[in-house]
Amino acid sequence: MSHSSIIAGTAPTNRARLADFLSTTIGRTLARLVLTLLILAAWQFQPDQNLRFWMSGPLQIVARLWSWVLDGSLWGNVGATVLAMALGYSIGTASGVALGLLFGLMPRVYRVVSPYITALYAMPKIALAPLFVIVLGIGIESRVALVALTVFFLVLNSTLDGVRNVDRDLTRSLALMGATRFEVIAKVLVPATLPWIFTGMRISVRYAFTNTLLAELIAANSGIGFMIEYYSGVFDATGAYAAILVLVIMSVGLTELLTLIEGRMSHGHRH
Amino acid sequence: MPRGDLAPKIGLDRVGKRFVTRDREVEALQPIDLSIQDHEFVALVGPSGCGKSTILNLIAGLLQPSGGVVSYDGVAVSALNRQVGYMTQKDTLLPWRTAADNIRIALELKCRAVPRAEANARVKQIIELVGLTGFERHYPAELSGGMRKRVALARTLIYEPETLLMDEPFGALDAQLKLLMLDQLQELTRQRRMTVVFVTHDLGEAITLADRVVVFSARPGRIRVIRNVDLPRPRDVFRIRFSEAFARLHEALWDELKDEVTRGTDV
Repeated sequence: MSHSSIIAGTAPTNRARLADFLSTTIGRTLARLVLTLLILAAWQFQPDQNLRFWMSGPLQIVARLWSWVLDGSLWGNVGATVLAMALGYSIGTASGVALGLLFGLMPRVYRVVSPYITALYAMPKIALAPLFVIVLGIGIESRVALVALTVFFLVLNSTLDGVRNVDRDLTRSLALMGATRFEVIAKVLVPATLPWIFTGMRISVRYAFTNTLLAELIAANSGIGFMIEYYSGVFDATGAYAAILVLVIMSVGLTELLTLIEGRMSHGHRH
Repeated sequence: MPRGDLAPKIGLDRVGKRFVTRDREVEALQPIDLSIQDHEFVALVGPSGCGKSTILNLIAGLLQPSGGVVSYDGVAVSALNRQVGYMTQKDTLLPWRTAADNIRIALELKCRAVPRAEANARVKQIIELVGLTGFERHYPAELSGGMRKRVALARTLIYEPETLLMDEPFGALDAQLKLLMLDQLQELTRQRRMTVVFVTHDLGEAITLADRVVVFSARPGRIRVIRNVDLPRPRDVFRIRFSEAFARLHEALWDELKDEVTRGTDV
C-alpha cells in the first residue's frame, strides 16, 4: 500500500496508482518529459509579441545555437572560458601549494606577512577585475590573473593549515633516524599535507568557474560570459538565452566531472 | 682532549629538568647522576610521572636539561642525537605507508642508502622476527595496538642503531607475545652489541632483560636505588622468572618500588 492513500478525504486508488507510477524510473522520466514539453510549449506558443522580444522561444534559441556550432563561434568562446579557468586554476594551485609549504616551513616569515594574506584572502577578488583589465587588457590574460589569484589564496590557506597540522612527533622521529631536512619534507611533511591540499583544490574549482564567468561578464572579448553580456547588451534575447544554455551544460558537465574525480580519489586513498 | 676510553657511552651529570607551565614550574627530574656503559642494557623502573621518559628525551636530544650535562660518547648532547634509535611510547608510524613501507623508511634515507633489493630482504627478515608476516601490506589504521608496537619496534631495529632507547615498548602486548618479544630483543641486542636504555613499569620485564635496574622515586624523579642483575646470559625469558635468584631480586626491588608506587598514586 502506498503512503498517499493515508491522506484523509482523497480518492485513494487513483492517487495511489499515480504515486506508485511516479516512483518507478520510467514513470519519473516520463513525467519529467511531459513537464519539460509543457514548459517549452507554453514558452514557444505564448501569443504576446512584446513578451516574445524579451523571452525569445525555444526553437529560435536552438536554431541560434546551431548557427554558432556551424560558424565555429561556439567552440571559440567555450574554449576561451575553459582555457582561462584551467590556466588560472593551474597557476593558482601551483603557486598556492609552493608558497603554502614555504610559509609553513618558515613560520617566522609567515608571521610577518600574515596580516596581508588574511586581508587579501578575505577580500572578494572579483573587485580587482576592472583593475586587471586596465593593467592586462581585455584579453584572456586579465581573466587568468583573476582566477589564479582567487585559487592561490584558497590553496595557500589550506596548504598552510595542513603543514601546521603535521604531527611534530612524526617529523622528529624521522629526523632522529638521520633524515636530512629535505627528506623530512619529502617523506613526512608533503604526504601529510596532501589531503589538505586536495581539499583546497576541490573547493577552488567552483570559485574558479564562477570568477572566470564574472570576469567575462565585466569586461572581455571572448568567453561564454562575454556572449551573455554581449547579446544582452544588444537586446538580443535569443542570443543571451542560447549562451546561458551553453553555460548550464558546462556547469552540469563540470559538476559531473568533479563527482567522477572525487569518487576515484576516495577509492584510491587509503586513510 | 679525547675522552673516548674513559667516558661512559651515556653520561648524566647532575641532570635535572623543570617544565615551566603558564603559572607554575614543575620539577620533573631532580638532579641525578647516571652512567651507562657501552653495550650495557639498563632498565629504568618507577611510577608514572617519575621522569623516565624525560631521561630518554634528554639522551635523544629532544629536550635540553634545565641543569647539568647529558653526554654521549663523552660529548655534550646539544642537538638531535642521531646515534640513537628511539622507540617512543606513542608509535609514530606514518599512516599513509603500509607496515612494510614504515619499517623500510630508515633504510631509504641518504645517510644509509641501502640498495632496494637488500632493503626488501631486511624488511622481510625483520617482519618475520616480530611475527608480522601476512600483515606487510596493511596500513597502521588496520593493525591492532600490539601490532603497531611491533611495527614500530621493527622500524627501529632494522637500521641497527648503536644505542636503543625504548619507552614501554611492550605495554600493549599480551603476556605470551610479550615474552616472545623479550626473547627476540635480548637476542638482537646481544648479537649486535647494542647499548639499551629501557623504560618500563614492569619490574619482571626489567630484571629479565637488564644488566642493571634503576628504580626511580615518584615525582619529582630521583634515583632511589640501582641494582646489578647478575643472572647469567643468555637468559631463558620464559623460565627465568621461576628461578630463585630472580625471585630474590624481584622481592628486593619491589620493596623499593612499592612505596614509590603508592606514593605516586596518592598525588
